[in-house]
Amino acid sequence: MTVEVEPLPEATSGRHLEELLDQALGRLESARPFAKASYQGAVLDVARRLAALPGGVEALYQRIGRLEAAGIFAGSDWAHPETLQPILAANTLWYGDKQTAALEYLSEIRFLAVAGGDLLSTELTAEQAQHFLSQVLALNLNVLFGAATEAQRVRQSMPEAVVRNLYVYLAERIGYENILDRLIEEIWRILAQRPIQVDGVKAMIGQIAACMFNPEVDLGAAGRGADRLISALYGPTLGCREDPGLGVYAERLASMDANALAQEAGGFARAMYDTGLVSPYHPVFLRHIVERNEELLPQAFGLSSTGKDALLCYQGLVRSLIREAVHPETSQAVYGLALLLERGILYSPPIAPALWGQIALPLSTGNESVLTSVHGTAHPPRVFLLAGLLCVLGQPFGIGQGNNPTCQTARALSMWAYNDPDYLMQMLVWAARDEEVVMHFEGQALSSKAIAADTARLPPLDVDPVSLVLVPHLDRIYMEMGRRCADRGQDPHIWINPEFHGWWVGRGCRIAVDVASGKLSDYPDFVREFLAVYHPLYNGNRPLIHPQPAGIAVTDSQGRFVGWHAIAITRVALDQDGGMRVFFFNPNNDSGQDWGQGVRVSTHGRGERYGESSLPVEEFASRLYLFHFDTLEPRSPQAVPAELVTSIVERGRQSWGEKR
Amino acid sequence: MTTLEVVEEEERTQTDYNPDKGYVAILGWSLRAIDAIDRFDRRYIVVAPDWAEDYAREHDIPFIPWNFERLNERSHELAMRLKKEGVDVAIPLFEEVVEWAGAINAVLLENPRLLGQSMLFRDKSLMKRRAQLGGIRVGIFEEGRDKGDVIRFLKRVNQALLKLDGDPNDPIHLKAFDKAGCLGHRMIQTPDDVENIPDDEFPCLMESHLDGFEFACEAFIHDRKVRFLNISEYVTLGYSVFIPASPELEKWRSRVTEEIEKLIETFDIDFGFIHPEYFVTNDGKMYFGEVAYRPPGFNAFELMERAYGFNAYQGLVLMFDPKTTEEEIEAFFPREVVDAKGHAGCFGVYPRRRVISHLEIPEETENDPYFEFHELMSPVEAKVPKRTAFGTHWGLVYFFGDDPHRMRELLKHQEEVDFYV
Repeated sequence: MTVEVEPLPEATSGRHLEELLDQALGRLESARPFAKASYQGAVLDVARRLAALPGGVEALYQRIGRLEAAGIFAGSDWAHPETLQPILAANTLWYGDKQTAALEYLSEIRFLAVAGGDLLSTELTAEQAQHFLSQVLALNLNVLFGAATEAQRVRQSMPEAVVRNLYVYLAERIGYENILDRLIEEIWRILAQRPIQVDGVKAMIGQIAACMFNPEVDLGAAGRGADRLISALYGPTLGCREDPGLGVYAERLASMDANALAQEAGGFARAMYDTGLVSPYHPVFLRHIVERNEELLPQAFGLSSTGKDALLCYQGLVRSLIREAVHPETSQAVYGLALLLERGILYSPPIAPALWGQIALPLSTGNESVLTSVHGTAHPPRVFLLAGLLCVLGQPFGIGQGNNPTCQTARALSMWAYNDPDYLMQMLVWAARDEEVVMHFEGQALSSKAIAADTARLPPLDVDPVSLVLVPHLDRIYMEMGRRCADRGQDPHIWINPEFHGWWVGRGCRIAVDVASGKLSDYPDFVREFLAVYHPLYNGNRPLIHPQPAGIAVTDSQGRFVGWHAIAITRVALDQDGGMRVFFFNPNNDSGQDWGQGVRVSTHGRGERYGESSLPVEEFASRLYLFHFDTLEPRSPQAVPAELVTSIVERGRQSWGEKR
Repeated sequence: MTTLEVVEEEERTQTDYNPDKGYVAILGWSLRAIDAIDRFDRRYIVVAPDWAEDYAREHDIPFIPWNFERLNERSHELAMRLKKEGVDVAIPLFEEVVEWAGAINAVLLENPRLLGQSMLFRDKSLMKRRAQLGGIRVGIFEEGRDKGDVIRFLKRVNQALLKLDGDPNDPIHLKAFDKAGCLGHRMIQTPDDVENIPDDEFPCLMESHLDGFEFACEAFIHDRKVRFLNISEYVTLGYSVFIPASPELEKWRSRVTEEIEKLIETFDIDFGFIHPEYFVTNDGKMYFGEVAYRPPGFNAFELMERAYGFNAYQGLVLMFDPKTTEEEIEAFFPREVVDAKGHAGCFGVYPRRRVISHLEIPEETENDPYFEFHELMSPVEAKVPKRTAFGTHWGLVYFFGDDPHRMRELLKHQEEVDFYV
């Protein structure tokens, strides 16, 4: 996804920083070998800032030979590029301190220069450099997709966009074919989670398609798995197989008979359900039949009897929604609308009128300009917001936090979309029309308008339209609630979570960490209690009724603590092999993560609904540090087997609980 | 032929120096200084503690290991060794080696007076008395040996100011006798402050507080004449400085030069480099604070290089070398103030919060057109140690620009933003 770059003040203009870089570089060049270290810092600091600007990577590329000769890598591991490891390189950009990350950044640019023959190296051949970069890129596909992991986001040494700039630059020059197979695998894995935001995925598929149809690129056997992805986007049906362009396709539709149209409808629906992606041809088709062949709508949406019934009950509304919100630029709204119908939420009395209200809702000028800056001017901003709303209502677990560090608000949006959709729509009305959201905390009204925005934090731009409009308000209210609990000497979520999310969040709250000391506290009890509340074998087979917020101690693939993260537990149930699993929603954008000690979060294939993550209950519990429960609900912790508690406690203590 | 090379056993013999010029010994270990001097045309040898020896050998830096402690009888041994080596003069890089340089130069230059002179530089109390004897205006001061002395001095000063019981005290300043810059410098206003002084900071120098502004100078001296005088404008003492100073301060230049000439007379300074601090009170009187015979802290040399383009370490060598000629000096130094390409400033960062997690340059700082780069370290621990006295900053942030007033405001403003969050 591209974000409009604002005009920059003088200081951050590339020119100014290039001059500064040359100056710092001059000092480094003139320094004797033994004193290089004392002048490297300035160069790295300026290089890091330059990298963040448009054209910055190119400016660094132009100087990479000078930088290396001047000794920017001298005295460090990077002085021996032949010994560098792609896996470490990939991580350094995220987890190193800022200087080390900048060094790695330059080093990867150096590899590119060597691979391209622009820089001769005695330690490295062009082939080695090429191979190295392919691996780095393949390992960072998620970044190319704009889906950094939790660990990356928390520990980021550089803004995600800066790292992505570099990888896009590298990928364009090194050629996508080398990394294609990993890429395709990765795309399928991401799509299996059915995210709402698929701009990154679509862009990558576009890149792959460009590679595959470029006669100069020899893909060999690579890329075979990409056909289905490419066709889903660019030619899902007989009528548009060869990607004729939207105009030509619209003309073809006009001359198709009923049978041909029915075939088209089925083709679109299959491609959509297969991948979660909606081809831009699909809206063209829908807009055509909604006026002439309405009977094909259920087929074109691929509806089951439930969805079909909802469609027939609310035909006028659906018709209006298609006319208003479904365009080639908002094609994903088709999928959202289809799933909304399938969920049957239209039968809940407030939903249909709320949607009618949304169609007619005037937006504030501030919201109009934000929406336009992110989504462009192809349609009025309200169209993008309505389309976004359809996606959120259809795919509650498809919401992602984007590059926004507050996962809590994304989690809340998802929870409301899933559980209380008319409340979500009411909030959206307030935020979109009035630019004010009022929530209550312990009896006092908190208005997002009255709370000063944290100016240091920019509103997230890489999120869906609903989040775009709502998250700044929710973030502010959430922060204010936090402020009001700051001096209570306890984890503020105890009070915030129920008030912020809704009445269904249990007022009871257990936390595994003593807030003052940061040490584990009553950890075995905590684990036992959790199992007694949530595990169907020990809680009297009581299903979880509403999603409950919970706190996870995220660990990296080495099992080391990364940070606290908000998730929502959605279900605890058996998988196909009889294993008890916790299913949960993780508001980060890609939930497939390796948390170390063999704990790999599954996102599909273990009974997950789209967008859900899951872990065996004992693995999940080993990373849990906070959960809510209903204090009145009877429970019997003594029913939980001691060995189970012990094994979970052990795992927790050996990972995030170490030194606590 | 084997691929093994014969390892050169001997120290590197510099080939890129001018044999007609002096041979200097550098006392203390500073890579930036050594780098600058290595690129200069004087032969040199570094005398520094043995922990630096491996690094020096590895990089062919001419080196004599020496552990400087309190000046002792071994100074003569070192002086003789350097004399035998053919060294002409010793140059101190740090406060702790100033008297060593005096003792060595007394031997090398056959001028016993230099040892006594260096002792004056190393003892803030002696230094002040000497200045007073020379007719230089100083504030009220006394030596303090214990907390009782401090309380007495605080009371006396405030009595003299006709303060009544209960009026807030005018503060006094405490400085360790022999520490550089802000180390061991504390401000005392109440008896409680006195309680917090650790015993090892005694004896110390106690001074009255003067309202007004303080600044520092860097004077390069050769043949008893000031060859280059830089005035450093403190925006806030211990936090920020920039050079050249603003026109408001630079208008004091001729007065400052006179005062420095008095110092040259009083302290009998033939050559070298001094770094005095002055105070100008609200009624326009200039008071002498203290003077050091070594490069200043806060990377003022780097700022000078940024503003003027000459390397101040090389200038230092030029001043100490008895074989330096007038022509060399004239060619080396630019004209003060007018030749500066702009104002170079830096800001020393202290974390403002008690608990921090990481280093984050404030966006407004990073986007400021004057901002150049920073040399801040990422925090190792989340808890910030309580700052005692004026303490040591966590690293410097550098700025450069044309307008001294904007520079001053910008540096001042940095005190209100967080670099560690």
